[in-house]
Amino acid sequence: MAVVGANGSGKSTFVKTLLGLKSPMNGRIEWPIGKPAEIGYLAQLTEFDRRFPIRVRDLAAMGAWQGFNPFAGLNKTTRNRVDAALEMAGILELADHPLHTLSGGQLQRALFSRVIMQDAPLILLDEPFSAVDQYTEQHLLSVIETWQSEGRAVIMVLHDLSAVLDHCTHALLLGNGRASFGTVNDILTPDRLVAQGYMSSSQASWMFRGQPNGGAC
Amino acid sequence: MFDLISEMFNYAFMRRAFVVTTILSASVAPVGAFLVLRRLSLAGEAMAHAITPGVVIGFVTAGLSVMSLLFGGLIAGLGVAVLTAYLARNTILRSDASLASLYLIALAIGIFILSAAGSAVPLKSFLFGSILGVDDASMILVSGVATVTLVTFALILRPLIMSTCDPVFFESQVKRPWIVDQGFMFLLVLNLLAAFKTLGTLMAVGLMILPATAARYWSGTITAQLGLGFIFSLLSCWLGLTLSYILPETPSGPAIVLVAGAIFVLSALFGPLGLRGQFSATTKS
Repeated sequence: MAVVGANGSGKSTFVKTLLGLKSPMNGRIEWPIGKPAEIGYLAQLTEFDRRFPIRVRDLAAMGAWQGFNPFAGLNKTTRNRVDAALEMAGILELADHPLHTLSGGQLQRALFSRVIMQDAPLILLDEPFSAVDQYTEQHLLSVIETWQSEGRAVIMVLHDLSAVLDHCTHALLLGNGRASFGTVNDILTPDRLVAQGYMSSSQASWMFRGQPNGGAC
Repeated sequence: MFDLISEMFNYAFMRRAFVVTTILSASVAPVGAFLVLRRLSLAGEAMAHAITPGVVIGFVTAGLSVMSLLFGGLIAGLGVAVLTAYLARNTILRSDASLASLYLIALAIGIFILSAAGSAVPLKSFLFGSILGVDDASMILVSGVATVTLVTFALILRPLIMSTCDPVFFESQVKRPWIVDQGFMFLLVLNLLAAFKTLGTLMAVGLMILPATAARYWSGTITAQLGLGFIFSLLSCWLGLTLSYILPETPSGPAIVLVAGAIFVLSALFGPLGLRGQFSATTKS
């Protein structure tokens, strides 16, 4: 599922509320099949301190820290899982590098391997592609597809509508004090996107040009 | 030279000074490392000032004992830490501005009471400590603080590393993330109090911060940072004490911090993450 909306419409707030980092102003969150014990989470890259002295593999291992013995090193199973997670994110060869030597895209891959280590049924990603190049984005999208095929629910805040159309089944559109939810095709229509302040009507008619319902606004 | 050093160890107060600063190094080194990594380097200095009113009130009401120092300092330090967190969370001021405002008030209260009570303790020993007059009670205080500090670090090391490296992620992982934050502030105040008696308010933070920042120039992992920080801080104490013994009339606190400062300058010049290292040339984000 994708969360879409203009800047300041509350996308990150929505994600943080699901996580329990913020409490709802009113109302409450209901989990029809129970709240998952573990929620995979990747915050916006801007919130991360890249100068922290830690190796890539240790950052990845943080995803599974709750099962660690506080007075021992990591056991073999966990070390193998870390290697597998780094491999999946495509940065196994950087495993022993300190974080400050990484590029923005490499750091995002390292953070993805931490999400892999969390092994959670629900995964929340806040603008996972805002600071990475096309090649990295493609690779990370393939990781997300693997998660989806494993039956994990993925909720991500996205700005790139074509990625939403290609990789998400449902969308939550926030803006102008309203929220609309449904399948991607029902929600990402030009009149809805304009009505909820995501784009101007001229942008919408350009974007949806040549489509049967395009240019209607 | 050798004669001078063997003569130095003939004095009980010098032996005591070496023992107490060795224990102190083991205790303050990890605290300093995390102060630097959590971007609280200046907050350490501020907290050193913030404990002053507690120490002064303890001294004025209950005399110069380890217990009055410990309780007064803990109450003042933790009070300022908790109020800072409260203001940062609930008002527009960030934690640095909240802390700056509160510690200045605390420091003023402390100096005001000290002067009004017509103190018998000279201000100089208050500011710079008296490492050469370490009594049994202070040794027990420093050892006790070191024990509490090292055991606590062993228990909370991984959560502390996580909350330092990526606080947003850490908050999403645990129900009460503030326990780690406030627990660390508690250790900071405890160690400031332990260093307070021997190094004084002005120099206490020097032994925390300088070895840690110097170690940062050499280490790419947190393990190396912690180990090297301890070695640098031990080296500063031993060389500093020797220096202040060889050169008469030089106070030991500033001598120790000066040696730490020299290690810092050398590290900045020659460390792999320093001025001439790869860091300055490549990544500057």
